[in-house]
Amino acid sequence: MKRSFVMAWRNIWRNKRRTLITIASIFFAVFFAVIMRSFQLGTYDHMIHQAIESFSGYIQVQNKEFFYNPTLDHSFEYNDDLISSVDQVDNIKIAVPRVESFALASTGTQSKGVLVTGIDTKKEKTLSDPENRLVKFRFTPKIVESILNETDLPKKQRELLKANENQSYSSFSRISLDLDLNKDLEKTILPVIKEKASFSGNYLEPNDNGILISDRLAKYLKANVGDTVVLIGSGYHGMSAANIFPVRGIVKLLSPELDNKLVYMSLSTAQQFFSLGNNITSLNINLHDTDDMYETQEDIKEAINSDEFTVKNWEEFNPTLKQQIEGDSVGGVIFIGILYFIVLFGIIGTVLMMIAERKRELGVMVAIGMSKIKLSFVLIIEMLFLGFIGTLSGLVVSAPIVIIGNRNPIKMSGELAKMYEDMGFDPVMPLAWFDQYFLWQALVIMIMVLIACYLPLRRVRRMKVVNALRA
Amino acid sequence: MKVIDIKNLTKIYNESEVKVKAVDNVSLSFEEGEFAAIVGPSGSGKTTLLNMIGGLDNATEGEIIVNGTNMGTLKSSELIDFRLRNIGFVFQSYNLIPVLTAKENVEFIMDLQGRDKIERDNRAIELLKAVGLGERVNARPAKLSGGQQQRVAVARALASKPKFVLADEPTANLDSKSTETLLDIMEELNKKEKITFIFSTHDQRVVNKAHRVITVEDGHVKSDERRN
Repeated sequence: MKRSFVMAWRNIWRNKRRTLITIASIFFAVFFAVIMRSFQLGTYDHMIHQAIESFSGYIQVQNKEFFYNPTLDHSFEYNDDLISSVDQVDNIKIAVPRVESFALASTGTQSKGVLVTGIDTKKEKTLSDPENRLVKFRFTPKIVESILNETDLPKKQRELLKANENQSYSSFSRISLDLDLNKDLEKTILPVIKEKASFSGNYLEPNDNGILISDRLAKYLKANVGDTVVLIGSGYHGMSAANIFPVRGIVKLLSPELDNKLVYMSLSTAQQFFSLGNNITSLNINLHDTDDMYETQEDIKEAINSDEFTVKNWEEFNPTLKQQIEGDSVGGVIFIGILYFIVLFGIIGTVLMMIAERKRELGVMVAIGMSKIKLSFVLIIEMLFLGFIGTLSGLVVSAPIVIIGNRNPIKMSGELAKMYEDMGFDPVMPLAWFDQYFLWQALVIMIMVLIACYLPLRRVRRMKVVNALRA
Repeated sequence: MKVIDIKNLTKIYNESEVKVKAVDNVSLSFEEGEFAAIVGPSGSGKTTLLNMIGGLDNATEGEIIVNGTNMGTLKSSELIDFRLRNIGFVFQSYNLIPVLTAKENVEFIMDLQGRDKIERDNRAIELLKAVGLGERVNARPAKLSGGQQQRVAVARALASKPKFVLADEPTANLDSKSTETLLDIMEELNKKEKITFIFSTHDQRVVNKAHRVITVEDGHVKSDERRN
């Protein structure tokens, strides 16, 4: 056994250049596959984090009719029994109650259909976190002009500032990204922005009778903090829902669709407005370990044990996102497959060459008494050595890039960034942390090597010793 | 004691629909400890005969019985194992395994036989000393001269303690001095270890050393001369 490994190791170095070329092809295939897949999976994680973990939750408990006919008439009572049933399930990080319905919002001259979302102001911080999305800075044309006059910005940043006129921001980091600021520029310009572009607004108190409205909706309604907005809609069982609400703050949401129509109010105010009593329309649940989502979904069903409810995971209530991710993922896998397919032929070429030029040597080994199985074993080890070295080096070199890319996601700029924003996602590309995909590359290469061994092994099996000795 | 018994051996090659009889109805036998040479012009069938005796090629007709085993009845894998335990080979082009040292080449065959490391080590060193290469045990074939490589090949052939050694033109690529040294070594090992040596050769120096000379022509045994 040991001698087989020694022979295999020495054999692969008989033609150093060819071995290095083969290893290099495997190395680059693994390296690019890891980085590409890591980008893809990282982006999906980020999308899921933004769309699911930070808004809808991974699992929702709803009235079983609500999923097909989402009206307030299909709401359900948010009582202690339900809370304790859900709380007893392991893996639940938080269960956040919500009331969601539509209404017409008006500020006198402007009116628009809006999505009214009643939230538990404390618990909601762990889900969509509206407090953290409050608009803190606004670049009105006047403010932009003032900043440009008072700072000595480079040409690029001046143009970017102009391009972002009328934008609202809830954090410095996003301003820095949009203006492509380096550390030195941040030190210069951010205090000026803080002074000139700060925007006031407050989060909702637990029983607040005010509302938060999304940024684009606020611009459309021409509503500002302190203004009032009239909401008119239909409440529980056809009750009339109409009231006037003061605007406490403006929230900047990544999804343009939501940013155009969202109104937050406290849960009690929403229940009162829609005459819902203690009813809610959904219980939105986030998990400790999202890998166990399906099991947790079943556990919740079991814990609630009622025909009144349905328990849906995000793939069921947001199939569009799931299909979008799956479609993109398949594209990525096909691309990686093509990459590996090309490398596979490279490996087959190498192994056939190795066999052809050693035909007589292999014949001698069989002639003096080496079984064809043992000989095949040596050849397989040779190929596995090539695969192992190429794969290992590919993984080792890609690992630090994955770590860096995961900790410091690549920030996109320009049109690409805008495209991401239009889709409702942060324009960043994080790399996924090490997971199964990392080891899959090694497994795929090893399988490829074994496939590549088929032809030479068949040649060894069919080899006629006399003919081989004449080679 | 009869080591090899060849009965009515025939080999026919089908070359482009033309049948060529390389060996034609040959019957021979070899005793233990013989030092025999098969001679004849190119194409006379001596290498084919040697390949069939070594189980490297199949006979069209006839049988070869080695130590009571009819080689024609063995399956391919059994034949490989049979060669491993009974036959040593020395080839014209040495055919050592280039990635192994002289000692490892000799040990290789014992490793295949499953012998333990100490026995392998001792016998490899002993054989390499016997062929005059005690100082070159760790040299790879590329670092050895043709004569030295052929001596390693002889040591390798004897390492498995075979019943007989088949040597196909072993001196064809060697100079006079190397040939003489190699033949002396083989003759001495033949006497010492009582191993049968069968050569196919054109080389008169080998013929002169042989105790039995079998002349083959057109696939037939033309003469079989024994010398004292």
